[in-house]
Amino acid sequence: MVDVMGPDLISDLPQSIIESILVQLPIRDAVRTSILSSKWRYKWALITQLVFDDKCVPFSNDREVVEMSVVKFITRVLFLHQGPIHKFQITNSKLQSCPEIDQWILFLSRNDIKELVMELGEGEFFRIPSSLFNCRKLTRLELSRCELDPPHSFKGFVCLRSLNLHQVLISPDAVESLISRCPLLESLSLSYFDNLALTISAPNLKYLYLEGEFKDICLEDTPLLVEISIAMYMTDDIAEHFEQSSNCNFLKFLGGVPNLEKLVGLIYFTKYLSIGIDSVHLPIMYHNLETIELYQVNFEDTKEIFVILRMITSSPNLKELQISGSSNIPVAVDAPDLDFWEKGCLLDSALNKLKTMKLSEMGGWPHEIEFIKYLLCRSPVLETLSIIPCVFDMENNLKMLIELVKCRRASSRAEVIFIHE
Amino acid sequence: MAVVKPEMKSYIWLQTVDGSIHQVEEEVAMFCPMICQEVLQTGMGSSKTCAISLPHHVNPAILDMILDYCRFHQVPGHSNKELKLFNEKFVRIDTKKLCELTSAADSLQLKPLVDLTSRALARIIEGKTPEEIRETFHLPDDLTEEEKLEPLRNITDDPRIRLLNRLYARKRKELQERKKPKDVAVEEEPKDERSVEDLLSFINGADGEIKGTRANKNKKKNRRKDQTKDLSSKNANENNKGLNLLPSAYHNVNFDKALEASSSKHSRMQTLPDVNFSPKFEFIDGDVDDDLDPAVKEELDREVEDFARRLNSDWPERMQILSLGQGRRLVPISVNGNGSTHLYTSLCYFLGLDHYVCVEGEELQLSS
Repeated sequence: MVDVMGPDLISDLPQSIIESILVQLPIRDAVRTSILSSKWRYKWALITQLVFDDKCVPFSNDREVVEMSVVKFITRVLFLHQGPIHKFQITNSKLQSCPEIDQWILFLSRNDIKELVMELGEGEFFRIPSSLFNCRKLTRLELSRCELDPPHSFKGFVCLRSLNLHQVLISPDAVESLISRCPLLESLSLSYFDNLALTISAPNLKYLYLEGEFKDICLEDTPLLVEISIAMYMTDDIAEHFEQSSNCNFLKFLGGVPNLEKLVGLIYFTKYLSIGIDSVHLPIMYHNLETIELYQVNFEDTKEIFVILRMITSSPNLKELQISGSSNIPVAVDAPDLDFWEKGCLLDSALNKLKTMKLSEMGGWPHEIEFIKYLLCRSPVLETLSIIPCVFDMENNLKMLIELVKCRRASSRAEVIFIHE
Repeated sequence: MAVVKPEMKSYIWLQTVDGSIHQVEEEVAMFCPMICQEVLQTGMGSSKTCAISLPHHVNPAILDMILDYCRFHQVPGHSNKELKLFNEKFVRIDTKKLCELTSAADSLQLKPLVDLTSRALARIIEGKTPEEIRETFHLPDDLTEEEKLEPLRNITDDPRIRLLNRLYARKRKELQERKKPKDVAVEEEPKDERSVEDLLSFINGADGEIKGTRANKNKKKNRRKDQTKDLSSKNANENNKGLNLLPSAYHNVNFDKALEASSSKHSRMQTLPDVNFSPKFEFIDGDVDDDLDPAVKEELDREVEDFARRLNSDWPERMQILSLGQGRRLVPISVNGNGSTHLYTSLCYFLGLDHYVCVEGEELQLSS
């Protein structure tokens, strides 16, 4: 047999290479290698990464049938597996809450699990068993659509570097305590939380991603933050809370992040920052901040514009700016307060590093035009300014263009690109 | 008279397993962690006489390829697209070379190249049938038919795995049964001959009419209730043969035995609806049906779905029946596994009961 074909090319490679190959195969193909030859019978059982996605069992239209076969398959694989399991991932939309999950997580907690990703289908949220909190070596945890209830005695995941909770039912105290008890946490992502007032204390945190209905966000101890992305949704409660707040949110949120390199704010973020901004003088400079992206900015609210200007002027090394306006066409406003632009409180310093500007959802309103003028005058190295109007209204766009053409430009190389498609 | 100065470039000298010496630009060679380490720690490689010996996986041809890779990648400033194109082109080589390259890259600790070649090898393996894979990589087809069907030998001596393996083996036999013409009663060779003999003698031939009619079995139910497990195992062959002959009565009987129900429940057992318990229970390893052709597989899948649906529709009734038996040790599902075991275990499984895995050590003593 062997002589006719030639020597075996692959079976004698070290297990680390075999693992490298097998983990890049879909799990079904990996398990099937057990029937290739006698040397291959157990090679698959030693791999340290198990990933179960939507394709790990044959397709069927009946969700329950698929769920059953997924459950059987996973249980069988775990049963027959040998050795440590460092990564376990289930991203299967047909699988919903089922009792076997408890057993799997218990099994994993005994097998040195380091990365756990569970993203099940829409439907009943499953309850994470307490055995999860015994996974001492966990470095990455990603959960979707489940209930998480850490026991009181839980001392935290000492090795956890990345935490991602998406649509997870957990009490606010538990979240805060979980975050603060993971000393090595570098990346935090919380999405679809309702009505959460969050104080984050994570001395090693570098990447923060929040999306949901947040009443309040306070970055208490996050000196190493490098990248922030926040999408704040609004409800009536939150709106009321905003109105009554007397804090300076800008300070509370951005007061302690001197190493920030990239800031992205969506939906009501700019509004959130605008509260209380008048009252304080902001001495902080963000020397590393190179990219600012703010979406859904309401140009009718001068406070929001003020937020942007404050941010820009505190970032001497800003390279890229992306602003997107609200697509809400404002009700006819009587003379907009253009004095705002005349006031001397706006810093006159130049934006010496700004190269790219992109303004989208522009309605051509007076404040927007003033904003563009303001920036064009102060960016000597600007290369590209792209403008995307929000309405395809020829007349409106024409008016905008006329104004733009009048603007003075500090940079001779600046290209103003008006995208009208 | 101009004197042309030689270019002031540094070189590293490497020696491959065949003895030949290669002169390589320093920055290219140092891209390999293994070489870098050698140079820094031992100072070797600076001249022909103290060339660094490369691991034996690295022959001259492969070395050239690796150096090409290093030469391209050590230059900064390539765009992602350029890198991607280079990498894709780089691994468009025959499988033999790819394996050698992987091995060599690993011994030189060049992880990015190992990842690249592994991915290429994975792409080769993905989607192929076992025969195709064996042909591509020259793997010997040295598993016996049984071994191919029996997923994994239990090398950790875990009794549960042994049970599972036996169940698989039984199921496989049944599968093969199905393939043969239905009206031929095939003489099945039991996996554990010894144990069957043991059991026979243990039962003292009381129900020794193993090949007896179904009617007999029904009558003898009451006597058997304490010998459920032995009977189950004894019927190993029975089930396989009998399945195609008298499904309903047969299944009722086995179901009854498997549950070790008391006599009062027997009558209830009798009234079990006549479900076509196909012996192919996907629940264990339908997924490893690789040696069956797709048509058979499809049939299997369909039957299993059917079965599952039927089972689930009779849920309340079965729940009641099974729960009555729960207090006892339902576990005497024998290690030998057989049709009735399958029946019971699959039921348990579909109903979410875990008993079938709770086989304790003592059962295993029956078999080898």
